[in-house]
Amino acid sequence: MSWKLVLTLALVAGPAHLVAQNGIGTTRLPGRVPAAALPAIDSIIAAAAAESLPTEPLVQKALEGGAKNIPADRLVNGVRRGLLQLRQARAIVSHAVPGQSPPEGHVAAVAAALARGLSGPIVERLLTVAPNEPPGPALHAAADLVAHRFDPDSAADLLVEAHNKGLRGVRLLDVAVAADHDLQRPGGRTPSEALAHIRAMLPNVPAPARRP
Amino acid sequence: MSPIDPRLQEALDGERDPGDLPADLREAYARLISAAQLLRATPPVSVAARVMAEIRQNPAPVQSGGPARRLIRWLGRPRAVTVRLRPVWTLALAAGLAAVLLMPWPNAGPTPGIAQGIANFVGHFPGARSVEVVGSFNDWSRGMLHLSDDDHNGIWHAEAVLPAGQHEYMFVVDGERWVSDPLAGRYVDDGFGAGQQNSVLIVRPMSAQP
Repeated sequence: MSWKLVLTLALVAGPAHLVAQNGIGTTRLPGRVPAAALPAIDSIIAAAAAESLPTEPLVQKALEGGAKNIPADRLVNGVRRGLLQLRQARAIVSHAVPGQSPPEGHVAAVAAALARGLSGPIVERLLTVAPNEPPGPALHAAADLVAHRFDPDSAADLLVEAHNKGLRGVRLLDVAVAADHDLQRPGGRTPSEALAHIRAMLPNVPAPARRP
Repeated sequence: MSPIDPRLQEALDGERDPGDLPADLREAYARLISAAQLLRATPPVSVAARVMAEIRQNPAPVQSGGPARRLIRWLGRPRAVTVRLRPVWTLALAAGLAAVLLMPWPNAGPTPGIAQGIANFVGHFPGARSVEVVGSFNDWSRGMLHLSDDDHNGIWHAEAVLPAGQHEYMFVVDGERWVSDPLAGRYVDDGFGAGQQNSVLIVRPMSAQP
């Protein structure tokens, strides 16, 4: 075998081998995060992969920290916090949807909702309502309502009722938007009044304005 | 090769009158003379060499007119160009042309797929020299999505096609200042312990956009 052929095979097979070996995304990190942080981050991401947790949120957190020039120790802590949230999310999903392995998308969406401040019980309640649907929109709608100072349990009640009346996916986000608009309407409504008004409107909440 | 008759040779050399030759030699003499005339009529060198020699002997007359007119004449004059292509470079050139032709035109506007949606980024940054969006949709890479302020009123804008779903992002102003999007409406602590908040964007799939 000539040296040219060997070199060609090495160039072609080398990267493919690396990708196959390292399918958890850490090949994107060298040069993007501080070298001092790399071993610890690699180890955290490998732990997530070993536990069948989604690794992409952790890779993204590491890339974000690198882009923001976060010092190595704080960057590692941020990624580790992400791992803890994924573990907590997986526990919530497993509890809410027993008897099946938690889909990665569910775990990542729940972790994002926890990061936005939703409590575990509220997340679990929303998961239970529609265990086989992508939970992202309902969780974001709940997080939006809570961020706008609606009572978390009342917000979850409204979203469950919206789901029961046929609203799915991003239409649940419209429920949160409508409640927020109602709250800000001149004349002043309390949060509970706004939620009651939207509940009476279901399932006919207005869609967002059409793009110009 | 058969030897030539000495009388014919003498006639050809001009030492004997061809009319004195016997009939068969006179006929041979006439054929040889015709052949010699034909050879004299044939160009002694190649056409290219003759043309070049002609050009050298008769240089082009000096053109009248100013530099602009001479430039126009020079530009309009036909020229022979020899192109020698190696197959590998020809293929590379073809691949490059194909890539350019297949590349989406920047002015064509974003065209999202089914699992994508259009995101609008707007920020008020008066006096800023540059504003860009960096987020999870571009692996937090700098220099990929710049906002523009074409009318210089401090309102920066960009439109992008992104995968449907949740994205976290921040604006980077003047290449160094990380700023949350004040119009995002959704925020999440970035988790690095300094209380900085990422903006949260939820992109609706095109099928669900109004």
